[in-house]
Amino acid sequence: MASREIISYDKGVLVKALKWGSPIFLAFYLIWSLLPLFIMLMASMKDLLDAFAVPKPGDWAGVAIFFDFSPTFTHYVALFTENNFGTYLFNSLVASIGSAMIAVTLGSMCAYSLSRSEFRGKKDLLFWIISTRMAPIVAVIVPLYAIFRSVDLVGTLPGLILAFTTFNLPFAIWMLKGFFDGVPYAIEEAAQVDGQNRFQAFLTILPLVAPGIGAFVILCILFAWNDFLFATIIGSGGAKTLPAATKELVQPQNIDWGKIMAAGVVTTAPMIPLGLLVRRYLVAGLTMGAVKE
Amino acid sequence: MTISTKSDGHPALSDQDWGFATISRVPANLNPKPSRMFYVYLAAPAVLLLAAITIYPFFWLIYMSFHKVGFGAASDIFVGVKNFSRLFNDTKYIEGWGLLLKYSAICLFIQIVVGVTLAVVLNNSRYEKVLVTLFLMPMMVSPVVAGLLFYYLYNGTFGWYHWIFQSLGFLDQTSILGSTNTALFGIILVDVWQWTPLITLITLAGLKRVPQDQLEANMVDGAGSVSNFFHVSLPNIYPFLLIAILLRFMDNFRFIDGILALTGGGPGNSTRLLPVYLFDVSFQFFKLGRGAAIALTLLVVTIILGMILVKVLEDPARKKALAGDSDV
Amino acid sequence: MVAVSFNSVWKDYGDGAIAVKDLNMEINDGEFVSLLGPSGCGKSTSLRMLAGLEHISSGEIVFGDQTVNDLPPKDRDIAMVFENYALYPHKSIFDNIANPLKQAKVAKHEIERRVNEAAKLLEIDHLLNRRPQELSGGQKQRTAIGRAIVRQPQVFLFDEPIAHLDAKLRARMRSELKHLQYELGVTTIYVTHDQLEALTMADRIAVMNDGVLQQFGTPQEIYENPVNSWVATFVGEPQMSLMEMELTGLNGDTALAFGADMISLDKISAVRLNAAGKKDLLVGVRPDKASVSLQETPGSIQGEVYSRQLLGADVLVEVEIGGSRVRAKADTAFAGNVGAICYLTFASQDLYFFDAEDGKVIPQ
Repeated sequence: MASREIISYDKGVLVKALKWGSPIFLAFYLIWSLLPLFIMLMASMKDLLDAFAVPKPGDWAGVAIFFDFSPTFTHYVALFTENNFGTYLFNSLVASIGSAMIAVTLGSMCAYSLSRSEFRGKKDLLFWIISTRMAPIVAVIVPLYAIFRSVDLVGTLPGLILAFTTFNLPFAIWMLKGFFDGVPYAIEEAAQVDGQNRFQAFLTILPLVAPGIGAFVILCILFAWNDFLFATIIGSGGAKTLPAATKELVQPQNIDWGKIMAAGVVTTAPMIPLGLLVRRYLVAGLTMGAVKE
Repeated sequence: MTISTKSDGHPALSDQDWGFATISRVPANLNPKPSRMFYVYLAAPAVLLLAAITIYPFFWLIYMSFHKVGFGAASDIFVGVKNFSRLFNDTKYIEGWGLLLKYSAICLFIQIVVGVTLAVVLNNSRYEKVLVTLFLMPMMVSPVVAGLLFYYLYNGTFGWYHWIFQSLGFLDQTSILGSTNTALFGIILVDVWQWTPLITLITLAGLKRVPQDQLEANMVDGAGSVSNFFHVSLPNIYPFLLIAILLRFMDNFRFIDGILALTGGGPGNSTRLLPVYLFDVSFQFFKLGRGAAIALTLLVVTIILGMILVKVLEDPARKKALAGDSDV
Repeated sequence: MVAVSFNSVWKDYGDGAIAVKDLNMEINDGEFVSLLGPSGCGKSTSLRMLAGLEHISSGEIVFGDQTVNDLPPKDRDIAMVFENYALYPHKSIFDNIANPLKQAKVAKHEIERRVNEAAKLLEIDHLLNRRPQELSGGQKQRTAIGRAIVRQPQVFLFDEPIAHLDAKLRARMRSELKHLQYELGVTTIYVTHDQLEALTMADRIAVMNDGVLQQFGTPQEIYENPVNSWVATFVGEPQMSLMEMELTGLNGDTALAFGADMISLDKISAVRLNAAGKKDLLVGVRPDKASVSLQETPGSIQGEVYSRQLLGADVLVEVEIGGSRVRAKADTAFAGNVGAICYLTFASQDLYFFDAEDGKVIPQ
């Protein structure tokens, strides 16, 4: 496929409009995308009075008020000293990474098996696996809660990790199977000819799918970290994570927006570099492997 | 010697005796088929774990949906299909479906129009790579945090977005989330903010796969770039968009985090999409039997959508198009 | 139908990549011209500039009496057949072929008539309702041709159209395409890297290498009077062999020194080489003009058999002589195997002489 661009001749009105309109459109969209995050960041550093300073409606020049404040980190400090956010951060880390690890380990073995074997009902098995990923959490959370409660897993980190695994594991199996399908079986055959047993052959080809697996682990962490429903219902008590804790800061009386915004920043900030890291696999990850960048 | 008249007529394929040596004894099978058990052992942990956490809840839901669930172990009353039949008269349930469909349709419409336009503009821009990276930021945010953020921005007293709406004349003092007429649009806006980049990314991937020579052939045939877009590019990216639509639609069933943070289903019932209603029934009213019935209906629809999705993904022609096979 | 000319056309992609250098060529109305050369020689780029799919860096392209440099493809009244067919996957075969007519807003009944006519001519009329995915390579290619001929343009452009067909089909399509062009009488420019295609189909061939037009002439001229050693070895299968020889005078007679051997020259060649005054020469001989035998004959040169390949009716023998390998055609009766000593003979009238320094042919 040529990497040359299509030649263009049009000197028409439409093309001129596009030429001028495009940068404006892009600029608008850029502002639209980043403005909320920017405001969140700013608001997290404003003390109570400054936070509520909004100009009168229609007073466009008054936008300057937004920037007129003295930044303070008290909210961040308070989060960690008064509100236990250190624990929640720890919980988020452990639960996300733990679930990703389990999903990858068990998932890669299962994915490999499914990739290399044929049997009746394979399609149905695959469908069942992927349907668990698509199931609305709201629908299954009550029974899951009941099960976890009966084995005392509610409010524990292992319980939460297990809960996250309900969506990360099927995701792992589906995606990794796709990766393994892309590796020709000839390599394992060569390894076996060289004297390895089948499990060793499996380990031999793992490096070939390593970049995909790495990206996929990060995606699992991303999904688990950002989850709210499982974290609130199953994790609350001893395993609260950042999103759940952030939501809880919203009390009926006296909402401390500075703190909430700071909590939002703390919850979002680690995900941004992760997102950039797996940029190439993001489309594949979010479309269940259907679209490859 | 007669030549047999097999359809291919080739002498070597007929059942003539050509004098080949034949082996009358079948040799012992020295190479047993490789054991399948290896694969079974490898896959077992994952499958067992998955089964434990999905099959049991499924049966639990079925059991519960036929009961009126009380507190404590022994007070479940069998009610037959009453939980299901009651749903037909449950306005919130029916409205829940209506809202879900309305919400999805509007979100997807806006996301596709904006997303595809953005993709086309980006595709022709020098700064594509940098811009795409920036545009994906909203997708990295936890939906509940996004919901809280916009709840802050929409606030009638100090919300900056509310201020913008007021200044532009869209709203009075009531926050967008405060009125039953506008609340749905409030949550739609958040979904659009977060997920339009996904549509853009998918469309970009598709645009880059449009075979250049089809575009050139169309130019030789007499088309300008507008015709090229509508008659060559769009049909080629259509499978990508279809998948995007199905996935986002299914995600709307799953993710109510943002809605819970923004409105909790209100004001009134104007944002009580079906999954939100399910949440209320199960966790606020604690009518677990009814909740299980609703959950099952939701699951059935999800499974049907899932089957459609898998069918789309596995369709060989589509697979070819998705993989970017340029030799049509 | 129109005459096409390239006037000092250059294509510069910037940062040092110059694809076409100073191309000058006049193609006659109704002529079938082949642009021949290896990958990267600039032939496809030249074709694309003709089509308007690439901008011209400098120079002019003229159709008839109109300079077309700034005209988009649709205004040039051309039709093009692409290497990978470029069919629209979501349209039926009928719609694929009809596309140019639809763009030109031709009346519906006229579209139907022309498409059916073209399809019948190309023997794909039974496929009009199918989609491109359902067709074989050859059928897709004929659809692409159908799309081109239905327009009745001034110029046909072909970009390696049969490259992806299997060998038997290619052979058949060569004659079909040639016949088609003859019937339609449209000026045709045909890009290929296969010298056999060019030789068999074209009225004239433009041989290109590295962006530069090497020679523009009839197939016969190119084959018999190549303008340099590169063209000589590019055209002709099996390939001509080049030998390094030195022009010497031996007992007052001009002769060629080939390693330790001496090759005598006929009068005409002797005069020609003396006139040019070049000492170091590249001498070319085509395999069918070189004979090899296991018996020594007067005037033959001794060498060793390097390989022996059966071509069907003859045998191609590669003989290793003094560091060079010379290809000769022999009878299937030739018994020598690899390593055997053999003797090579050729007549000096059949030789091609090139200056060893720049490869240019020694003028007659």
